[in-house]
This record gives sequence, structure tokens and C-alpha cells, in this order.
Amino acid sequence: MKFGIFFELSTPRPWTPESEHRLYHESLAQARLADELGFDHVWCVEHHFLEEYSHSSAPEVFLAACAAQTKRIRVGHGIVVCVPQINHPARIAERAAALDLISSGRLDLGTGRSGTWTELGGFEADPDETKKTWDEYVRAIPQMWMQERFRWRGRSFSMPLRAVLPKPFQKPHPPLWVAVTSPGTEIDAAERGLGALGLSMGSVADYAGKIENYKRVIRDCEPVGAFVNDQIAAVNFLYCHEDDATGVATGQRLAGTFNYLASQLLSTREAFPTRSYPSLGLLPALRSEAAKKGDDGGPSAAITIGNPARIESALRRWEAAGVDCVNFLLNCAETVPQEEVLASLRLFAKEVMPRFQKGEAR
Amino acid sequence: MPLFGTLDLKARGADAPRAAALATTDWSLPGAEVLHLLFETEDAGNLALLPPALHPTIPPTCHLVVIRAPESPAGAFVLAQVRVGCRAGAFQRGFVTRACCDSARAATALRDGFGFDCRTAEVKLVRRHDEVAARVVDGGRTILACSLADPVAIGPDDVRYVDTLNLAWVQRSGEPTLRLVQLDARQTIRTADRGRPCVEHFDAAAWAAPGLLPDYGVSASFCSADLAFPRVRFLVDPAKPAFQGTEKV
Repeated sequence: MKFGIFFELSTPRPWTPESEHRLYHESLAQARLADELGFDHVWCVEHHFLEEYSHSSAPEVFLAACAAQTKRIRVGHGIVVCVPQINHPARIAERAAALDLISSGRLDLGTGRSGTWTELGGFEADPDETKKTWDEYVRAIPQMWMQERFRWRGRSFSMPLRAVLPKPFQKPHPPLWVAVTSPGTEIDAAERGLGALGLSMGSVADYAGKIENYKRVIRDCEPVGAFVNDQIAAVNFLYCHEDDATGVATGQRLAGTFNYLASQLLSTREAFPTRSYPSLGLLPALRSEAAKKGDDGGPSAAITIGNPARIESALRRWEAAGVDCVNFLLNCAETVPQEEVLASLRLFAKEVMPRFQKGEAR
Repeated sequence: MPLFGTLDLKARGADAPRAAALATTDWSLPGAEVLHLLFETEDAGNLALLPPALHPTIPPTCHLVVIRAPESPAGAFVLAQVRVGCRAGAFQRGFVTRACCDSARAATALRDGFGFDCRTAEVKLVRRHDEVAARVVDGGRTILACSLADPVAIGPDDVRYVDTLNLAWVQRSGEPTLRLVQLDARQTIRTADRGRPCVEHFDAAAWAAPGLLPDYGVSASFCSADLAFPRVRFLVDPAKPAFQGTEKV
């Protein structure tokens, strides 16, 4: 099993001139440590206008800094929002390729469409259209990377023959993923040969069904790129501490803060009646899982907080369900002091990560 | 921590209705119609209208809602409401600034049972092929004229409503106490249309919503549905964050 970290870059009110500066540089320090400790991925989301919850509107800039300050860890640019009012597909291809060059071929690109009216409305994007534009983008972007010159006559965008430059360092191109939140998106991912980037922290049981669907469909897929990226990643909270009670309490505070801030946003499902957004997205799954109790009366057995033994037990469940990678949210709105975040990462890398090296599966 | 409302509870409380007998049984409203318009609004106006218990949505929003109920325990009525989009802790809610009802009997029952700040006024809801229009006239003065333009059929499952909160005086331990009365309306939607939200006229002061400006249309829906207003189950202390001040009835 692989492990990654991911950043929403959240910062609480009241904001000071230092808030965002500190947030960005503390997050970079976490990425540097994750690289040293052997984590596989650092992901950074693209969000716009999401007060407190995510101040990460230029993830490619943050990830370029990550790439420059690390040696081995892969940089996950995603999800990028595949909506014309927010990103032209050529700009996504260009920025991603530049990031792949800067990182010497360590880029993964995650695609998606945004789940909030806060973002889509801010750009006057039509929620009815986002599934369609995403689908067109994921077909076009790999071609922009692989063809010397590219032209497109499409529904959501058209462009005459142009060389989309630079080209990525990885050949034929970096791995492609899609965020799986809405029901059925795991099938979309599989049919297109895309990695499934789990953004909902649903229960293992919920996930198992999605994984089964994904694995069944991807066997006969028609990939949008030059190869199939048959991988499933889940996301989770991480707070690891020698003392289980301390780990659980701090982890629950982290999860609670994340869920609280997320719920303040205006989901597309809430604001705009459309078949295109059948679920509320992240929020209900997050809240329900974080609020659940495990068999021992502690946190849900699927949440990776507590001491190393408890976290290993949770990860074994995900491993058994077929998840290839778990990406961890380390902090939210500075709930956990930086030194504790770094200590949690170190302890996880020392006590838990080695147990999931190749051949250690139980 | 997200922003909290800054409503002056002392001043607003003086005008708040008295919920004489909170509903202890469910209200069934079969064959109802619901017009729901959502707008983005100015930030400052929203904050000043929300009690300190509540967070504004991001971005700030308001809902204009008109319900026609041909049957209810209080008889037929048409009810118009202005709601400020908010969160009670992590939960999606609409805070009702004021309501108007075309039936005096229903207005009294909605005030007593659910804490609506409900006035009696002329409330019309008209369905046409090109629009669904609502108009509220109070004392000969139009205080709301709004519509859903260009209706197009959508799936009943595509529509979702949030629960509401009414600020009212209720009896707690034998004392009149200012509380937010939560109405967890349920709906079984049979048909639904979506269209463009339009406001021709909105008298913010008449809706106890000074400063509220529904200026950026988000969505409009019109549904036929069987509604239920269940008995009141939760109250919220308007002065405390909802995650600390929510009480079971």
C-alpha cells in the first residue's frame, strides 16, 4: 500500500497578514518531511472562494515549490477543475507539463469538476454542464501532451492547430486520475482508464462496492490516454500518537474542524436543482463517518487516528477492500500545532508505514 | 471559526411572536405546491439579520419561498416566507425573517405551533406556462413580487429543501424564553420544474429584513409535493452557537 498526504490549505479566522504565509510555509515543511520519510504522494487541491476551508486556488504554484524542495515524492496536481469558466484545458495541460518538468517526472494529474455553488457560481459556470466538460477535457488533455500540434472541435471548447507547450517529462504522459465523489463516478473512472481518487471518506463497506465496480469495468476499458492507470486511492485523516487517547482526541478534533468548515459552504446540490449533482458531495459522508463509533466505543474503525496499532488496524481494512493508496489530511485550520503534525508524521513513518511495505500484507 | 450572525436579540426579541403551543402532532399538507427562489445577497445585510447562534452560508444567500397548501389542520392557506441562508453548527438551515399568510386562521396556527412571525396578507401564487409568479400585498402595498421564469421540467429527486428556524418566544420551564424553533419539513415531491429566479419587487423592511438585497439569482424551482410539518423536536438558544445551544423538546 502507498501513502500520501494532501493539502486543502485551510486557515481559520481571524486572518492576519501572517496567516496564509505561515500556512503555506508550514505545509511546505510537512511536504519536505513526508518526502524524507518515504511517503509516496503529496497532493494539493484546487479550490476557489472557500473561506477558511481551502485557500488553495493556485495549487500548481504550491506544488512547484514542493517539487523544488523534495527529491522523491510524487506531486499530485488535483483535482484540477475541468470547467471552461475556471480553466481552459490547454492551460491545464501547459501547467501540468511544466510541473512535470520541474519535478523531473513526478507529476500525477487529478481531474474533477467542483462540488460547490460557492465555486461554480463564482465563475458563473453552469452546473448542468460540468460532467460533460470534464469528459471532454480528459479526452483532450492527453492528446495535447502527446501530439506535437493539437486541434479540437468540441462541445465545450474548440481550438485551431497549436503546439501546446511544454510537453511533460514523463512519456507518454503523467498518470491521470479523477475524483470519485458522486455515485457512479467510479464507473466513469474505470471506463476511461483513470485512477480513482477517492475524495469521500465513506465507510470501508461503501468503498468496497465502488472498488468492485471499478476493478470489474477497468479490465475492458478504453483509456483516454496512452495507458490505463488502474489505481484506487482513498483519503483519510491522520493523527498518530503513542498514547491512543491523545491520538484519538486530537484526530477527532481535526476531523470535526474539517467537517464543520466544509459544511459552511454552499454545495451545488443545495443551491441548484440538477441531475448533474445527485449527492451533496463530500459533506454527508465525511460527517457520518467521522461521527461513527467503532466497536470499542472509540472512533470509527475506518478513521486513521490514534496510536500506531489502531491506525494499522484501520489501514488493514482499507487494504483488504482493495485500496492501493491512502492520502492523509494532516491538519485543518491549524487545529493541530505544526510540531505535533510533524511528530505524527514521523511516528506513522516509523511504526506503521514499514508494516505495509511489499510482502507485509496480512 | 466561521462568521456568526450579529442580530440584536434584545431589539428583535421585542417584536418576536409568541409560540403559544408548539406543535406536538405532525401537520400533513397533501397536494401542496412550493415555489422556491434562491439568491445571493450582500454580506453585511445577512450577518445583521442572523442571530448569534447561526453562521451565514458562504456565499451569503436568501430564499424566497411560497407554499400553497390546499389542505392542512388549519385549513387551506398560501404562505410566503423570506429566509436567510445559514448554518446551525454544521447543518443547513434557513432563518425565517418573516412570513405572510392569506388565512388568518392558518397564520395564527403557524405562529402558535411553529413560531412563524406570520402576518395576514394577500398572498397569490399563479402557475403559467412561461412563469410561476408570486405576489404578496399587505395593506394595499406590494411587498413581494417574484417569479420563476421559463420553467423546464426536472426530476423530483433533483430538488432539495433545507429545514427552517423561526425566532419566537416559547415556554421553557414555565417562563417565556426566546428560542429558534426548528421546522424539519418533509416532502414527497411528485413533479418539479426549474427556471430563472426573478424579483420585481422586494420590500426588505416589510419582511423584517433591512439590508437584505436578493440581487444575484441562483436558482428557482416549483414543485408539487405532499408536505409534512412534523411536531417540533428541536429548539436553539439564539444567543449561543447552535452546537452548544440546541435543546430537544
